Amino acid sequence: MLWFSLLVLIPLAAVVVKSAEGGWGTFADAVTNRQTFAALRLTVLTSVGVTALNMVMGTIIAWVLVRDRFPGKAILDLVIDIPFALPTIVAGLVLLALYGPTSPIGVHAANTRLAVFLAIAFVTLPFIVRTVQPVLEEMERDVEEAAASLGASRFTTFRRIILPTLAPAIFAGAALSFARGISEYGSLVLLSGNLPYRTEVTSVRMLTYLEGGDTASAAAVATILLVVALLAIVTLDVIQRRVARRG
Amino acid sequence: MSIEVRNVTKRFGDFVALEDVTVSLPTGQLTALLGPSGGGKSTLLRIIAGLDTADEGTIDIEGTEATNLPARKRNVGFVFQHYAVFKHMTVAKNVAFGLEIRKRPKDEIEHRVDELLRLVHLQQFAHRLPSQLSGGQRQRMALARALAVEPKVLLLDEPFGALDAKVRRELREWLRRLHDEVHVTTVFVTHDQEEALEVSDEIVVINEGRVEQIGSPDDLYDHPANDFVMGFLGEVTTVNGQKVRPHDVDISTTPILAGAAQGTISRVLRVGFQVRVNVLTDGGEDVTVELTKSHANALGLGEGTTVWVTPTPGSIPRMVEKAG
Repeated sequence: MLWFSLLVLIPLAAVVVKSAEGGWGTFADAVTNRQTFAALRLTVLTSVGVTALNMVMGTIIAWVLVRDRFPGKAILDLVIDIPFALPTIVAGLVLLALYGPTSPIGVHAANTRLAVFLAIAFVTLPFIVRTVQPVLEEMERDVEEAAASLGASRFTTFRRIILPTLAPAIFAGAALSFARGISEYGSLVLLSGNLPYRTEVTSVRMLTYLEGGDTASAAAVATILLVVALLAIVTLDVIQRRVARRG
Repeated sequence: MSIEVRNVTKRFGDFVALEDVTVSLPTGQLTALLGPSGGGKSTLLRIIAGLDTADEGTIDIEGTEATNLPARKRNVGFVFQHYAVFKHMTVAKNVAFGLEIRKRPKDEIEHRVDELLRLVHLQQFAHRLPSQLSGGQRQRMALARALAVEPKVLLLDEPFGALDAKVRRELREWLRRLHDEVHVTTVFVTHDQEEALEVSDEIVVINEGRVEQIGSPDDLYDHPANDFVMGFLGEVTTVNGQKVRPHDVDISTTPILAGAAQGTISRVLRVGFQVRVNVLTDGGEDVTVELTKSHANALGLGEGTTVWVTPTPGSIPRMVEKAG
Protein backbone atom coordinates (compact mmCIF):
# COMPACT_ATOMS: atom_id res chain seq x y z
CA MET A 1 0.00 0.00 0.00
CA LEU A 2 2.87 2.36 0.86
CA TRP A 3 4.60 1.46 -2.38
CA PHE A 4 1.37 2.06 -4.29
CA SER A 5 0.97 5.42 -2.54
CA LEU A 6 4.50 6.53 -3.37
CA LEU A 7 4.23 5.42 -6.95
CA VAL A 8 0.70 6.43 -7.88
CA LEU A 9 -1.30 8.36 -5.29
CA ILE A 10 1.24 11.06 -4.37
CA PRO A 11 2.02 12.12 -7.96
CA LEU A 12 -1.71 12.15 -8.74
CA ALA A 13 -2.41 14.27 -5.70
CA ALA A 14 0.43 16.59 -6.66
CA VAL A 15 -1.17 17.24 -10.04
CA VAL A 16 -4.49 18.07 -8.47
CA VAL A 17 -2.86 20.32 -5.89
CA LYS A 18 -0.84 22.05 -8.57
CA SER A 19 -3.95 22.71 -10.62
CA ALA A 20 -5.61 24.27 -7.60
CA GLU A 21 -2.59 26.48 -6.96
CA GLY A 22 -3.61 29.16 -9.41
CA GLY A 23 -7.03 29.30 -7.80
CA TRP A 24 -10.38 28.53 -9.32
CA GLY A 25 -9.97 31.30 -11.88
CA THR A 26 -6.92 29.80 -13.57
CA PHE A 27 -8.55 26.41 -13.54
CA ALA A 28 -11.76 27.69 -15.14
CA ASP A 29 -9.80 29.76 -17.67
CA ALA A 30 -7.70 26.78 -18.71
CA VAL A 31 -10.65 24.51 -19.09
CA THR A 32 -12.95 26.98 -20.84
CA ASN A 33 -10.23 28.10 -23.22
CA ARG A 34 -11.65 27.27 -26.66
CA GLN A 35 -8.41 25.84 -27.99
CA THR A 36 -7.99 23.60 -24.94
CA PHE A 37 -11.58 22.49 -25.16
CA ALA A 38 -11.15 21.58 -28.84
CA ALA A 39 -8.04 19.57 -28.00
CA LEU A 40 -9.81 17.77 -25.16
CA ARG A 41 -12.80 16.98 -27.34
CA LEU A 42 -10.66 15.65 -30.17
CA THR A 43 -8.59 13.50 -27.81
CA VAL A 44 -11.54 12.01 -25.94
CA LEU A 45 -13.75 11.41 -28.98
CA THR A 46 -10.94 9.86 -31.01
CA SER A 47 -9.97 7.64 -28.09
CA VAL A 48 -13.56 6.51 -27.66
CA GLY A 49 -13.77 5.72 -31.37
CA VAL A 50 -10.48 3.85 -31.43
CA THR A 51 -11.38 1.92 -28.29
CA ALA A 52 -14.74 0.87 -29.74
CA LEU A 53 -12.97 -0.30 -32.90
CA ASN A 54 -10.36 -2.15 -30.83
CA MET A 55 -13.05 -3.94 -28.85
CA VAL A 56 -14.33 -5.48 -32.07
CA MET A 57 -11.09 -5.94 -34.00
CA GLY A 58 -9.00 -6.94 -30.98
CA THR A 59 -11.50 -9.65 -30.08
CA ILE A 60 -11.56 -10.92 -33.66
CA ILE A 61 -7.77 -10.97 -33.88
CA ALA A 62 -7.51 -12.79 -30.55
CA TRP A 63 -10.11 -15.30 -31.77
CA VAL A 64 -8.19 -15.94 -34.99
CA LEU A 65 -4.91 -16.31 -33.09
CA VAL A 66 -6.38 -18.83 -30.64
CA ARG A 67 -8.85 -20.80 -32.72
CA ASP A 68 -7.55 -20.82 -36.28
CA ARG A 69 -4.56 -22.59 -37.70
CA PHE A 70 -2.73 -20.99 -40.59
CA PRO A 71 0.84 -20.59 -41.77
CA GLY A 72 2.54 -17.55 -40.26
CA LYS A 73 0.38 -17.60 -37.14
CA ALA A 74 3.40 -17.54 -34.82
CA ILE A 75 4.77 -14.54 -36.68
CA LEU A 76 1.46 -12.67 -36.50
CA ASP A 77 1.33 -13.44 -32.80
CA LEU A 78 4.73 -11.78 -32.47
CA VAL A 79 3.93 -8.79 -34.69
CA ILE A 80 0.91 -7.87 -32.52
CA ASP A 81 3.31 -6.74 -29.79
CA ILE A 82 5.33 -4.39 -31.99
CA PRO A 83 3.27 -1.28 -31.13
CA PHE A 84 4.00 -2.08 -27.46
CA ALA A 85 7.69 -2.56 -28.01
CA LEU A 86 8.34 0.36 -30.33
CA PRO A 87 9.31 3.71 -28.78
CA THR A 88 6.34 5.92 -29.60
CA ILE A 89 8.42 8.45 -31.51
CA VAL A 90 9.64 5.62 -33.74
CA ALA A 91 6.01 4.65 -34.27
CA GLY A 92 5.44 8.28 -35.22
CA LEU A 93 8.21 8.14 -37.81
CA VAL A 94 6.81 4.88 -39.21
CA LEU A 95 3.36 6.41 -39.51
CA LEU A 96 4.77 9.56 -41.10
CA ALA A 97 6.61 7.48 -43.67
CA LEU A 98 3.51 5.45 -44.45
CA TYR A 99 0.73 8.05 -44.38
CA GLY A 100 2.74 11.25 -44.72
CA PRO A 101 3.18 13.56 -47.73
CA THR A 102 5.43 10.98 -49.45
CA SER A 103 3.10 8.07 -48.75
CA PRO A 104 4.01 5.02 -50.83
CA ILE A 105 0.41 3.78 -50.68
CA GLY A 106 -1.19 7.07 -51.60
CA VAL A 107 -2.85 7.75 -48.26
CA HIS A 108 -2.20 11.31 -47.20
CA ALA A 109 -3.25 11.60 -43.61
CA ALA A 110 -0.73 14.20 -42.52
CA ASN A 111 -2.20 17.21 -40.71
CA THR A 112 -5.68 15.65 -40.55
CA ARG A 113 -7.76 14.22 -37.75
CA LEU A 114 -7.41 10.84 -39.44
CA ALA A 115 -3.74 11.01 -38.49
CA VAL A 116 -4.68 11.25 -34.81
CA PHE A 117 -7.04 8.31 -35.19
CA LEU A 118 -4.48 6.17 -37.02
CA ALA A 119 -1.73 6.89 -34.53
CA ILE A 120 -3.88 6.08 -31.52
CA ALA A 121 -5.24 2.95 -33.22
CA PHE A 122 -1.68 1.83 -33.96
CA VAL A 123 -0.39 2.08 -30.42
CA THR A 124 -3.49 0.69 -28.69
CA LEU A 125 -4.15 -2.33 -30.92
CA PRO A 126 -2.37 -4.92 -28.75
CA PHE A 127 -4.24 -4.14 -25.51
CA ILE A 128 -7.47 -5.99 -26.17
CA VAL A 129 -5.81 -8.75 -28.18
CA ARG A 130 -3.51 -9.48 -25.25
CA THR A 131 -6.18 -9.37 -22.56
CA VAL A 132 -8.69 -11.53 -24.49
CA GLN A 133 -6.22 -14.10 -25.80
CA PRO A 134 -5.46 -15.93 -22.53
CA VAL A 135 -9.15 -16.06 -21.57
CA LEU A 136 -10.03 -17.57 -24.94
CA GLU A 137 -7.23 -20.08 -24.61
CA GLU A 138 -8.52 -21.20 -21.24
CA MET A 139 -12.13 -21.45 -22.34
CA GLU A 140 -13.21 -25.07 -22.62
CA ARG A 141 -14.61 -26.22 -25.93
CA ASP A 142 -16.93 -28.47 -23.91
CA VAL A 143 -18.94 -25.45 -22.92
CA GLU A 144 -19.71 -24.51 -26.51
CA GLU A 145 -20.55 -28.11 -27.32
CA ALA A 146 -22.86 -28.25 -24.32
CA ALA A 147 -24.67 -25.16 -25.58
CA ALA A 148 -24.96 -26.70 -29.06
CA SER A 149 -26.36 -29.95 -27.72
CA LEU A 150 -28.95 -27.93 -25.80
CA GLY A 151 -30.11 -26.46 -29.09
CA ALA A 152 -28.16 -23.18 -29.29
CA SER A 153 -27.06 -21.85 -32.69
CA ARG A 154 -23.49 -20.59 -33.17
CA PHE A 155 -24.73 -17.03 -32.79
CA THR A 156 -26.69 -17.73 -29.61
CA THR A 157 -23.71 -19.59 -28.17
CA PHE A 158 -21.50 -16.61 -28.93
CA ARG A 159 -23.91 -14.08 -27.49
CA ARG A 160 -24.94 -15.96 -24.36
CA ILE A 161 -21.90 -18.07 -23.52
CA ILE A 162 -18.72 -16.81 -25.17
CA LEU A 163 -19.26 -13.05 -25.00
CA PRO A 164 -20.16 -12.94 -21.29
CA THR A 165 -17.05 -15.03 -20.58
CA LEU A 166 -14.84 -12.69 -22.59
CA ALA A 167 -16.49 -9.47 -21.41
CA PRO A 168 -14.25 -8.82 -18.39
CA ALA A 169 -11.14 -9.23 -20.55
CA ILE A 170 -12.53 -7.10 -23.39
CA PHE A 171 -13.46 -4.28 -21.04
CA ALA A 172 -10.21 -4.45 -19.08
CA GLY A 173 -8.38 -4.14 -22.39
CA ALA A 174 -10.70 -1.32 -23.42
CA ALA A 175 -9.89 0.64 -20.26
CA LEU A 176 -6.18 0.30 -20.93
CA SER A 177 -6.66 1.17 -24.58
CA PHE A 178 -8.69 4.28 -23.78
CA ALA A 179 -6.29 5.49 -21.11
CA ARG A 180 -3.38 5.05 -23.49
CA GLY A 181 -5.34 6.84 -26.23
CA ILE A 182 -6.06 10.01 -24.28
CA SER A 183 -2.44 10.27 -23.15
CA GLU A 184 -0.80 9.56 -26.51
CA TYR A 185 1.84 12.00 -27.62
CA GLY A 186 4.89 10.60 -29.38
CA SER A 187 3.30 8.61 -32.15
CA LEU A 188 0.93 11.31 -33.37
CA VAL A 189 2.93 14.47 -32.83
CA LEU A 190 4.79 14.11 -36.14
CA LEU A 191 1.92 13.10 -38.40
CA SER A 192 -0.93 15.19 -37.00
CA GLY A 193 0.76 18.54 -37.48
CA ASN A 194 -0.68 19.78 -34.14
CA LEU A 195 -2.94 22.36 -35.77
CA PRO A 196 -4.87 24.30 -33.11
CA TYR A 197 -8.64 23.58 -33.15
CA ARG A 198 -8.11 20.85 -35.76
CA THR A 199 -5.50 18.23 -34.95
CA GLU A 200 -4.02 19.37 -31.67
CA VAL A 201 -4.44 16.80 -28.90
CA THR A 202 -4.51 17.41 -25.17
CA SER A 203 -0.99 16.25 -24.44
CA VAL A 204 0.38 18.67 -27.06
CA ARG A 205 -1.75 21.44 -25.60
CA MET A 206 -0.35 20.76 -22.16
CA LEU A 207 3.16 20.91 -23.50
CA THR A 208 2.38 24.30 -24.99
CA TYR A 209 1.22 25.51 -21.54
CA LEU A 210 4.36 24.16 -19.94
CA GLU A 211 6.62 25.74 -22.53
CA GLY A 212 4.92 29.05 -21.77
CA GLY A 213 5.66 28.53 -18.05
CA ASP A 214 1.97 28.15 -17.21
CA THR A 215 2.24 25.04 -15.07
CA ALA A 216 -1.03 25.72 -13.27
CA SER A 217 -3.01 25.57 -16.52
CA ALA A 218 -1.17 22.44 -17.62
CA ALA A 219 -2.01 20.82 -14.30
CA ALA A 220 -5.64 21.89 -14.69
CA VAL A 221 -5.87 20.14 -18.06
CA ALA A 222 -4.11 17.14 -16.55
CA THR A 223 -6.73 17.00 -13.80
CA ILE A 224 -9.49 17.02 -16.39
CA LEU A 225 -7.82 14.10 -18.20
CA LEU A 226 -7.52 12.30 -14.90
CA VAL A 227 -11.23 12.69 -14.26
CA VAL A 228 -12.07 11.57 -17.81
CA ALA A 229 -9.90 8.46 -17.39
CA LEU A 230 -11.54 7.62 -14.06
CA LEU A 231 -15.02 8.11 -15.52
CA ALA A 232 -14.13 5.87 -18.45
CA ILE A 233 -12.84 3.10 -16.19
CA VAL A 234 -15.94 3.22 -14.01
CA THR A 235 -18.28 3.30 -17.03
CA LEU A 236 -16.53 0.37 -18.68
CA ASP A 237 -16.69 -1.59 -15.46
CA VAL A 238 -20.43 -0.98 -15.11
CA ILE A 239 -21.11 -2.06 -18.71
CA GLN A 240 -18.89 -5.10 -18.27
CA ARG A 241 -20.88 -6.24 -15.24
CA ARG A 242 -24.11 -5.85 -17.22
CA VAL A 243 -22.83 -7.90 -20.16
CA ALA A 244 -21.35 -10.61 -17.95
CA ARG A 245 -24.59 -10.97 -16.03
CA ARG A 246 -26.86 -10.92 -19.06
CA GLY A 247 -25.81 -14.38 -20.33
CA MET B 1 -34.50 -49.77 -31.19
CA SER B 2 -33.69 -46.26 -30.14
CA ILE B 3 -30.22 -45.58 -31.48
CA GLU B 4 -29.02 -47.42 -34.57
CA VAL B 5 -25.36 -47.07 -35.43
CA ARG B 6 -24.57 -48.67 -38.78
CA ASN B 7 -21.12 -49.28 -40.24
CA VAL B 8 -19.60 -46.19 -38.67
CA THR B 9 -15.94 -45.52 -39.40
CA LYS B 10 -13.98 -42.55 -38.06
CA ARG B 11 -10.35 -41.70 -38.67
CA PHE B 12 -8.20 -38.97 -37.18
CA GLY B 13 -5.38 -38.74 -39.70
CA ASP B 14 -3.81 -42.18 -39.77
CA PHE B 15 -5.42 -43.22 -36.52
CA VAL B 16 -8.56 -45.32 -36.90
CA ALA B 17 -10.80 -44.40 -33.97
CA LEU B 18 -13.78 -46.49 -35.08
CA GLU B 19 -13.81 -49.23 -37.66
CA ASP B 20 -17.08 -50.36 -39.20
CA VAL B 21 -19.02 -50.20 -35.92
CA THR B 22 -22.63 -51.39 -35.91
CA VAL B 23 -24.61 -51.22 -32.66
CA SER B 24 -28.27 -51.04 -31.68
CA LEU B 25 -28.99 -49.35 -28.38
CA PRO B 26 -32.44 -50.21 -27.08
CA THR B 27 -35.04 -47.65 -25.98
CA GLY B 28 -35.44 -46.91 -22.30
CA GLN B 29 -32.33 -48.77 -21.24
CA LEU B 30 -29.14 -47.74 -19.56
CA THR B 31 -26.28 -48.84 -21.79
CA ALA B 32 -22.58 -48.62 -20.98
CA LEU B 33 -19.90 -48.21 -23.63
CA LEU B 34 -16.98 -49.87 -21.89
CA GLY B 35 -13.39 -50.06 -23.01
CA PRO B 36 -9.87 -48.85 -22.42
CA SER B 37 -8.88 -45.21 -22.99
CA GLY B 38 -8.36 -44.39 -26.64
CA GLY B 39 -10.50 -47.34 -27.69
CA GLY B 40 -13.03 -45.20 -29.52
CA LYS B 41 -15.95 -45.27 -27.11
CA SER B 42 -16.03 -41.50 -26.52
CA THR B 43 -15.73 -40.90 -30.25
CA LEU B 44 -18.76 -43.11 -30.83
CA LEU B 45 -20.73 -41.18 -28.21
CA ARG B 46 -19.74 -37.84 -29.75
CA ILE B 47 -20.76 -39.06 -33.19
CA ILE B 48 -24.16 -40.08 -31.82
CA ALA B 49 -24.49 -36.60 -30.30
CA GLY B 50 -23.39 -34.87 -33.50
CA LEU B 51 -20.34 -33.29 -31.86
CA ASP B 52 -18.16 -35.27 -34.29
CA THR B 53 -19.07 -36.57 -37.70
CA ALA B 54 -18.52 -40.09 -38.97
CA ASP B 55 -16.39 -40.58 -42.09
CA GLU B 56 -18.65 -43.42 -43.15
CA GLY B 57 -21.85 -44.98 -41.85
CA THR B 58 -25.19 -43.74 -40.54
CA ILE B 59 -26.84 -42.85 -37.23
CA ASP B 60 -30.56 -43.21 -36.54
CA ILE B 61 -32.07 -41.78 -33.39
CA GLU B 62 -35.60 -42.92 -32.55
CA GLY B 63 -36.32 -43.62 -36.18
CA THR B 64 -34.96 -40.28 -37.40
CA GLU B 65 -32.03 -40.31 -39.75
CA ALA B 66 -29.56 -38.14 -37.84
CA THR B 67 -26.30 -38.70 -39.72
CA ASN B 68 -26.20 -35.18 -41.15
CA LEU B 69 -28.12 -33.32 -38.46
CA PRO B 70 -26.10 -30.76 -36.46
CA ALA B 71 -25.85 -31.37 -32.71
CA ARG B 72 -28.37 -28.68 -31.85
CA LYS B 73 -31.11 -30.37 -33.89
CA ARG B 74 -30.64 -33.90 -32.59
CA ASN B 75 -32.38 -33.35 -29.29
CA VAL B 76 -29.88 -35.35 -27.28
CA GLY B 77 -28.73 -34.48 -23.80
CA PHE B 78 -24.97 -34.58 -23.36
CA VAL B 79 -23.06 -34.65 -20.09
CA PHE B 80 -19.32 -34.01 -20.18
CA GLN B 81 -16.58 -35.41 -17.99
CA HIS B 82 -15.53 -31.95 -16.85
CA TYR B 83 -19.10 -30.70 -16.36
CA ALA B 84 -18.95 -27.93 -19.02
CA VAL B 85 -20.86 -25.55 -16.77
CA PHE B 86 -21.79 -22.04 -17.89
CA LYS B 87 -19.67 -20.31 -15.27
CA HIS B 88 -21.34 -16.91 -15.44
CA MET B 89 -24.85 -18.27 -14.88
CA THR B 90 -26.50 -19.43 -11.69
CA VAL B 91 -27.44 -23.07 -11.27
CA ALA B 92 -31.07 -22.30 -12.16
CA LYS B 93 -30.00 -20.35 -15.26
CA ASN B 94 -27.77 -23.19 -16.38
CA VAL B 95 -30.66 -25.62 -16.16
CA ALA B 96 -33.02 -23.16 -17.87
CA PHE B 97 -30.67 -22.53 -20.82
CA GLY B 98 -32.08 -25.13 -23.21
CA LEU B 99 -35.66 -24.11 -22.39
CA GLU B 100 -34.95 -20.39 -22.88
CA ILE B 101 -33.49 -21.14 -26.29
CA ARG B 102 -36.69 -22.96 -27.15
CA LYS B 103 -38.56 -19.82 -26.10
CA ARG B 104 -40.81 -21.57 -23.62
CA PRO B 105 -43.06 -19.36 -21.47
CA LYS B 106 -41.36 -17.98 -18.36
CA ASP B 107 -43.58 -19.65 -15.78
CA GLU B 108 -43.25 -23.01 -17.51
CA ILE B 109 -39.43 -22.67 -17.44
CA GLU B 110 -39.49 -21.72 -13.79
CA HIS B 111 -41.68 -24.66 -12.93
CA ARG B 112 -39.57 -27.14 -14.91
CA VAL B 113 -36.27 -25.86 -13.49
CA ASP B 114 -37.66 -26.19 -10.00
CA GLU B 115 -38.81 -29.73 -10.70
CA LEU B 116 -35.43 -30.74 -12.16
CA LEU B 117 -33.43 -29.19 -9.34
CA ARG B 118 -35.51 -31.17 -6.91
CA LEU B 119 -34.85 -34.30 -8.96
CA VAL B 120 -31.09 -33.82 -8.66
CA HIS B 121 -31.31 -32.59 -5.05
CA LEU B 122 -29.99 -29.11 -5.78
CA GLN B 123 -33.09 -27.03 -5.07
CA GLN B 124 -31.38 -25.10 -2.26
CA PHE B 125 -28.50 -24.18 -4.61
CA ALA B 126 -30.65 -22.63 -7.38
CA HIS B 127 -29.16 -19.15 -6.99
CA ARG B 128 -25.54 -20.13 -6.49
CA LEU B 129 -22.88 -19.97 -9.15
CA PRO B 130 -21.38 -23.26 -10.35
CA SER B 131 -18.03 -22.29 -8.81
CA GLN B 132 -19.69 -22.56 -5.39
CA LEU B 133 -20.61 -26.20 -5.96
CA SER B 134 -18.59 -29.38 -5.45
CA GLY B 135 -17.69 -31.58 -8.41
CA GLY B 136 -20.49 -34.02 -7.72
CA GLN B 137 -23.02 -31.21 -7.42
CA ARG B 138 -21.81 -29.65 -10.66
CA GLN B 139 -22.26 -32.92 -12.48
CA ARG B 140 -25.77 -33.30 -11.09
CA MET B 141 -26.51 -29.77 -12.32
CA ALA B 142 -25.14 -30.69 -15.76
CA LEU B 143 -27.43 -33.71 -15.76
CA ALA B 144 -30.46 -31.59 -14.88
CA ARG B 145 -29.49 -29.15 -17.63
CA ALA B 146 -29.32 -31.99 -20.16
CA LEU B 147 -32.64 -33.45 -19.00
CA ALA B 148 -34.40 -30.07 -19.12
CA VAL B 149 -34.97 -30.20 -22.86
CA GLU B 150 -36.57 -33.65 -22.60
CA PRO B 151 -34.01 -35.29 -24.87
CA LYS B 152 -34.76 -38.45 -26.79
CA VAL B 153 -31.50 -39.88 -25.51
CA LEU B 154 -29.15 -38.93 -22.74
CA LEU B 155 -25.44 -39.35 -23.44
CA LEU B 156 -22.84 -39.21 -20.67
CA ASP B 157 -19.14 -39.09 -21.47
CA GLU B 158 -17.18 -40.49 -18.49
CA PRO B 159 -19.57 -38.58 -16.25
CA PHE B 160 -17.91 -39.55 -12.99
CA GLY B 161 -14.34 -39.65 -14.27
CA ALA B 162 -13.25 -36.43 -12.58
CA LEU B 163 -14.72 -37.28 -9.18
CA ASP B 164 -13.12 -39.02 -6.22
CA ALA B 165 -13.90 -42.65 -5.48
CA LYS B 166 -16.53 -42.15 -2.80
CA VAL B 167 -18.56 -39.52 -4.67
CA ARG B 168 -18.27 -41.62 -7.79
CA ARG B 169 -19.81 -44.61 -6.10
CA GLU B 170 -22.65 -42.51 -4.67
CA LEU B 171 -23.37 -40.84 -7.98
CA ARG B 172 -23.51 -44.03 -9.99
CA GLU B 173 -25.99 -45.56 -7.59
CA TRP B 174 -27.95 -42.35 -7.83
CA LEU B 175 -27.77 -42.40 -11.64
CA ARG B 176 -29.22 -45.91 -11.65
CA ARG B 177 -32.11 -44.82 -9.42
CA LEU B 178 -32.63 -41.68 -11.50
CA HIS B 179 -32.80 -43.75 -14.65
CA ASP B 180 -35.39 -46.03 -13.07
CA GLU B 181 -37.43 -42.88 -12.37
CA VAL B 182 -36.97 -41.00 -15.64
CA HIS B 183 -36.60 -43.90 -18.10
CA VAL B 184 -34.88 -41.88 -20.78
CA THR B 185 -32.68 -43.94 -23.08
CA THR B 186 -29.23 -43.44 -21.62
CA VAL B 187 -25.78 -44.25 -22.94
CA PHE B 188 -22.71 -43.64 -20.84
CA VAL B 189 -19.04 -44.08 -21.56
CA THR B 190 -16.74 -45.51 -18.93
CA HIS B 191 -13.44 -47.28 -18.65
CA ASP B 192 -14.35 -48.58 -15.20
CA GLN B 193 -15.70 -52.14 -15.53
CA GLU B 194 -17.10 -52.06 -11.99
CA GLU B 195 -19.15 -48.99 -12.86
CA ALA B 196 -20.46 -50.61 -16.04
CA LEU B 197 -21.30 -53.89 -14.30
CA GLU B 198 -23.05 -52.17 -11.44
CA VAL B 199 -25.12 -49.58 -13.26
CA SER B 200 -26.05 -50.71 -16.74
CA ASP B 201 -28.70 -52.92 -18.33
CA GLU B 202 -26.45 -53.64 -21.25
CA ILE B 203 -22.74 -53.26 -21.91
CA VAL B 204 -21.04 -52.68 -25.24
CA VAL B 205 -17.33 -53.49 -24.98
CA ILE B 206 -15.30 -51.41 -27.41
CA ASN B 207 -11.58 -51.83 -28.02
CA GLU B 208 -9.32 -50.46 -30.73
CA GLY B 209 -12.25 -49.04 -32.64
CA ARG B 210 -14.21 -52.29 -32.77
CA VAL B 211 -17.11 -53.74 -30.82
CA GLU B 212 -15.80 -56.78 -28.93
CA GLN B 213 -19.05 -57.92 -27.36
CA ILE B 214 -22.56 -56.73 -26.53
CA GLY B 215 -24.58 -58.22 -23.70
CA SER B 216 -25.99 -57.91 -20.21
CA PRO B 217 -23.48 -57.47 -17.36
CA ASP B 218 -24.02 -61.08 -16.23
CA ASP B 219 -23.63 -62.35 -19.78
CA LEU B 220 -20.36 -60.55 -20.30
CA TYR B 221 -18.93 -61.51 -16.96
CA ASP B 222 -19.89 -65.18 -17.18
CA HIS B 223 -19.57 -65.74 -20.91
CA PRO B 224 -16.94 -63.38 -22.28
CA ALA B 225 -16.62 -63.73 -26.05
CA ASN B 226 -12.85 -63.49 -26.01
CA ASP B 227 -9.81 -63.01 -23.85
CA PHE B 228 -9.94 -59.25 -24.14
CA VAL B 229 -13.47 -59.02 -22.73
CA MET B 230 -12.63 -61.51 -20.01
CA GLY B 231 -9.51 -59.62 -19.04
CA PHE B 232 -11.18 -56.24 -19.15
CA LEU B 233 -14.17 -57.14 -17.01
CA GLY B 234 -12.15 -58.53 -14.14
CA GLU B 235 -8.93 -60.14 -13.08
CA VAL B 236 -7.89 -63.38 -14.75
CA THR B 237 -5.51 -66.09 -13.66
CA THR B 238 -4.41 -69.34 -15.32
CA VAL B 239 -4.80 -72.76 -13.65
CA ASN B 240 -3.94 -75.94 -15.52
CA GLY B 241 -4.00 -74.06 -18.79
CA GLN B 242 -7.47 -72.65 -18.10
CA LYS B 243 -8.24 -68.96 -17.62
CA VAL B 244 -10.52 -68.25 -14.68
CA ARG B 245 -11.35 -65.45 -12.26
CA PRO B 246 -9.16 -65.56 -9.12
CA HIS B 247 -12.29 -66.01 -6.98
CA ASP B 248 -13.23 -69.05 -9.09
CA VAL B 249 -10.20 -71.02 -7.91
CA ASP B 250 -10.57 -73.64 -5.17
CA ILE B 251 -7.62 -73.99 -2.84
CA SER B 252 -6.95 -76.71 -0.29
CA THR B 253 -4.06 -77.85 1.88
CA THR B 254 -4.67 -81.54 1.07
CA PRO B 255 -4.77 -83.18 -2.38
CA ILE B 256 -8.50 -83.93 -2.22
CA LEU B 257 -9.44 -81.91 -5.30
CA ALA B 258 -9.48 -84.05 -8.43
CA GLY B 259 -7.02 -82.87 -11.08
CA ALA B 260 -5.71 -80.10 -8.86
CA ALA B 261 -2.29 -78.60 -9.46
CA GLN B 262 0.18 -78.77 -6.60
CA GLY B 263 2.13 -75.69 -5.68
CA THR B 264 3.64 -73.49 -2.99
CA ILE B 265 2.29 -70.17 -1.76
CA SER B 266 4.71 -67.40 -2.69
CA ARG B 267 2.77 -64.46 -1.33
CA VAL B 268 -0.27 -63.69 0.85
CA LEU B 269 -1.78 -60.23 0.57
CA ARG B 270 -4.65 -58.98 2.67
CA VAL B 271 -6.88 -56.41 0.91
CA GLY B 272 -9.71 -55.39 3.21
CA PHE B 273 -12.08 -58.33 3.62
CA GLN B 274 -10.23 -60.30 0.97
CA VAL B 275 -7.03 -62.28 0.92
CA ARG B 276 -5.10 -62.60 -2.31
CA VAL B 277 -2.78 -65.59 -2.48
CA ASN B 278 -0.16 -66.23 -5.12
CA VAL B 279 0.58 -69.92 -5.72
CA LEU B 280 3.59 -71.06 -7.72
CA THR B 281 2.57 -74.46 -9.11
CA ASP B 282 4.96 -77.26 -9.93
CA GLY B 283 3.82 -76.83 -13.53
CA GLY B 284 5.37 -73.35 -13.46
CA GLU B 285 2.13 -71.32 -13.35
CA ASP B 286 1.69 -68.33 -11.07
CA VAL B 287 -1.91 -68.70 -9.93
CA THR B 288 -3.74 -65.89 -8.13
CA VAL B 289 -6.46 -66.99 -5.74
CA GLU B 290 -8.93 -64.71 -3.99
CA LEU B 291 -10.77 -65.86 -0.93
CA THR B 292 -12.32 -64.38 2.15
CA LYS B 293 -10.20 -63.67 5.17
CA SER B 294 -12.04 -66.18 7.35
CA HIS B 295 -11.64 -68.89 4.72
CA ALA B 296 -7.91 -68.20 4.47
CA ASN B 297 -7.58 -68.27 8.27
CA ALA B 298 -9.48 -71.58 8.48
CA LEU B 299 -7.09 -73.13 5.98
CA GLY B 300 -4.11 -71.65 7.79
CA LEU B 301 -2.52 -70.30 4.62
CA GLY B 302 0.88 -68.69 4.85
CA GLU B 303 3.92 -68.18 2.68
CA GLY B 304 5.61 -71.50 1.91
CA THR B 305 2.48 -73.63 2.54
CA THR B 306 1.99 -76.45 0.05
CA VAL B 307 -1.46 -76.26 -1.54
CA TRP B 308 -3.55 -77.71 -4.36
CA VAL B 309 -5.49 -75.41 -6.69
CA THR B 310 -8.16 -76.07 -9.33
CA PRO B 311 -10.94 -74.09 -11.04
CA THR B 312 -14.13 -74.14 -8.96
CA PRO B 313 -16.61 -76.68 -10.36
CA GLY B 314 -19.37 -74.77 -12.10
CA SER B 315 -17.21 -71.81 -13.10
CA ILE B 316 -16.81 -71.32 -16.81
CA PRO B 317 -13.12 -71.31 -17.66
CA ARG B 318 -11.67 -70.40 -21.02
CA MET B 319 -8.93 -72.51 -22.58
CA VAL B 320 -5.71 -70.57 -23.08
CA GLU B 321 -5.35 -72.04 -26.61
CA LYS B 322 -8.43 -70.10 -27.70
CA ALA B 323 -6.59 -66.85 -27.08
CA GLY B 324 -6.90 -64.27 -29.80
